[in-house]
Amino acid sequence: MNFDFSEEQFAFRDSVRQYLDDRWSVAQLRTHLTGDGFDRELWEGVSALGILAMMVPEEHGGLGLGYVDLALILEECGRHLVPGPAVDTIIATDIISRHGTPEQQAALLPAIAEGGLKIAAAVAEIEGGFRPEDTTTIARPSGNGWALSGRKILVPYAESVDQLLVVARFGDDGPLGLVLVDPDWAGITRRHHQLLDPASRAHEVTFSEVELGGDHVLGGQPLETAVARLVDAGAASASLQMTGAAGKVLDLAVEYTGNRVQFGKPIGSFQAIKHRCADMLVLLETSRTAAYHAAWALAHDPAARRKLVSMAKAYCGDAARSICNEGLQLHGGIGFTWELDIHFYLRRAKTLEYSYGDASAHRECVMAATLAEMEAA
Amino acid sequence: MDFSYSPAEEAFRAQVRSWIKANLPEGWGSTVHEPEDEHARYMFRLDWEKKLFQGGWAGLAWPKKYGGRGATLVEQAILAEELARAEAPEGLNIIGRNLTAPTLIHHGTEEQRRRYLPKILSGEEVWCQGFSEPNAGSDLASIRTSAVRDGDHFVVNGQKTWTSFAQYSHWCFMLVRTDPEAPKHKGISFLLVDMSTPGITVRPLRQISGESEFNETFFDDARVPVENLVGGLNEGWKIAMTTLTYERGPEDALARQIRFKRDLMRLIVAAKTIPRGPKATAIDDPVLRQKLARSVIEVELMRLNCLRSFSKQLQGKPLGPESSFQKLYWSHMAQGIYETAMETLGPTAPLAAGDPLAPGDGLFQTGFLQSRAFTIYSGTSEIQRNIISERVLGMPR
Ligand SMILES: Cc1cc2nc3c(=O)[nH]c(=O)nc-3n(C[C@H](O)[C@H](O)[C@H](O)COP(=O)(O)OP(=O)(O)OC[C@H]3O[C@@H](n4cnc5c(N)ncnc54)[C@H](O)[C@@H]3O)c2cc1C
Repeated sequence: MNFDFSEEQFAFRDSVRQYLDDRWSVAQLRTHLTGDGFDRELWEGVSALGILAMMVPEEHGGLGLGYVDLALILEECGRHLVPGPAVDTIIATDIISRHGTPEQQAALLPAIAEGGLKIAAAVAEIEGGFRPEDTTTIARPSGNGWALSGRKILVPYAESVDQLLVVARFGDDGPLGLVLVDPDWAGITRRHHQLLDPASRAHEVTFSEVELGGDHVLGGQPLETAVARLVDAGAASASLQMTGAAGKVLDLAVEYTGNRVQFGKPIGSFQAIKHRCADMLVLLETSRTAAYHAAWALAHDPAARRKLVSMAKAYCGDAARSICNEGLQLHGGIGFTWELDIHFYLRRAKTLEYSYGDASAHRECVMAATLAEMEAA
Repeated sequence: MDFSYSPAEEAFRAQVRSWIKANLPEGWGSTVHEPEDEHARYMFRLDWEKKLFQGGWAGLAWPKKYGGRGATLVEQAILAEELARAEAPEGLNIIGRNLTAPTLIHHGTEEQRRRYLPKILSGEEVWCQGFSEPNAGSDLASIRTSAVRDGDHFVVNGQKTWTSFAQYSHWCFMLVRTDPEAPKHKGISFLLVDMSTPGITVRPLRQISGESEFNETFFDDARVPVENLVGGLNEGWKIAMTTLTYERGPEDALARQIRFKRDLMRLIVAAKTIPRGPKATAIDDPVLRQKLARSVIEVELMRLNCLRSFSKQLQGKPLGPESSFQKLYWSHMAQGIYETAMETLGPTAPLAAGDPLAPGDGLFQTGFLQSRAFTIYSGTSEIQRNIISERVLGMPR
């Protein structure tokens, strides 16, 4: 029984933090608000630290680690507003490692480990809510393979990545599965979204009768388990990143209120302010508890994985919302300026709050799972 | 990170489980319950505690030389979990076990430990906590109850209040003022007082739940031997801080969590039958489902928060002001459960225990009333927030 990280896991987190402190300050992030938003040097730095190789098995040239090892790193990515597609690639790597055919693994994993391949998942649709069951993007049999049609929204960095991992339904009433496509293929169009978070990029991606061979279906056949894991991994990663961003906002608020003087005293000495910071700490620490536990659930894949992940996504989403809002409030007027960094954390956390299911959707998931467990008992 | 138990720990759990089953009364929880009468109920709880002692389960993780078994904290937690799971009675000597004992282990003399700890374990001596006074609650350091040296004794005068279980207690640990001239934190001492000492009067107070767990306790020239001083003269404040850390710590919270979760599960069962109009039940209401789910999540996170803090303790890191964060979290979380319970009951929420139509015979109403104390005792939420902001976040005073 040990709910803590090892010395090595903390040490790795520290080295990642140090690198990002140097290389990815908000000032640097601000230079990427236009253009494709992809910083090659940062990508190579992240790769050199071994982060992209973490989820690649050793036999494919990676480090063979898991979500528990990754948890503190994803929290750090949130804390430093690390842009996709690094996190998106990591999520996809785990899915490919677990569910890809040997040929798919051999073709993709070594390249990922070396930092040579960027992948993002295409999950959300405008018609659907948050549930992958509502997916309307469809793969229909065509020749020896499939023809893919549909429209995805909020696909991260679709202009920069090399591959997309697309959630699709196989046949009108068929199962869900994942396909791997190259976004440059004929029949695929991308439209750049205007985003709440200007430090991120995402696209609307339309597929019209995109022809794919059977070898582009992840695992060789539609795998609902792979889809389920993908959305759970996305939700857990978002939980960890929101926790990281929220942690930074609390630090900024404590620092600012310790220095800002009004009525002849640092405003941080006023109880109305202190007590809010104390409540923010409770939210933050409990978010960590929830998000770390979700990472453990992904690593060990217990029967209750979905419920444990939903618990984290719901709790961390609400917590990040209130920490970011309160953190901005405690800065007063300067908190409302573009110049101050805090709005970038607010925007990132808000974006993550609505990716891979919002808190209400995940609470409903927890309720359904709880009732099912009670029935079974 | 590893949430599994070792084979030895699993074996220990099995052993605990079978002992509990063999020792709870036949039909416990279905036909046999705790006595209705408050006094009889407390005596029943004390008997159970003595039984636990005879079974060798008391003070599991305490050092052997004080009557414990030197077990690990994990084993201690397993015992607490299994007792809560079996809905075994709570003890009566909670303050003795959870507060007096760790305080004496940290700050007592060897003689004091040997004198007091074994009798806490055996249930022979029940303890109460004499900290709060009518004019010293949150501002605990402003206590006025005085202790004046007279030969081999201190003569104690003053009044304590909200003293839980004082009417059943043989001993009280208390804060007394021994130097009225010194700055307020520096003139306080920590005394162990025999409740049968002439000059002590206990008057029960009625609580909002109708029960009388806490009391007013008066001291009129009560003579306490000087060897009952813990730590140095005028050094009681530091000792009181140790006591409070244990009062707010994860071990206490782990056992509570199981009771909160049990009540929440009962609530969800009830929600499936409580009508909402002719065709639906409470569990069909999407707004209520959101609130119930929130509680399901939060109660589970209470356990996981405890395990995180517990893991730090297992690595030998001392329990510090972070225990305030645990207490602040669970007290508000639990109030949320009972608030949602009342909403689930809806129109029957006003029906209390004894009314045949009260769902669960008023369990939730009692829980709701009792939950109001969570954010007051062991330091109010406002005080916990002061501690967290100043001592954890380092904010200015
Ligand atoms: C069920 C129960 C059992 C108890 N058992 C015991 C026991 O066994 N032994 C014992 O010694 N005590 C016991 N207590 C007492 C408990 O510790 C005190 O009630 C508590 O510390 C608050 O003190 P008070 O009641 O004097 O309230 P006050 O200190 O007067 O507080 C009143 C209100 O003012 C707020 N407040 C006070 N100071 C500040 C501040 N600096 N900043 C912001 N807000 C502030 C408080 O948070 C509270 O909301 C028990 C209490 C309860 C309810």
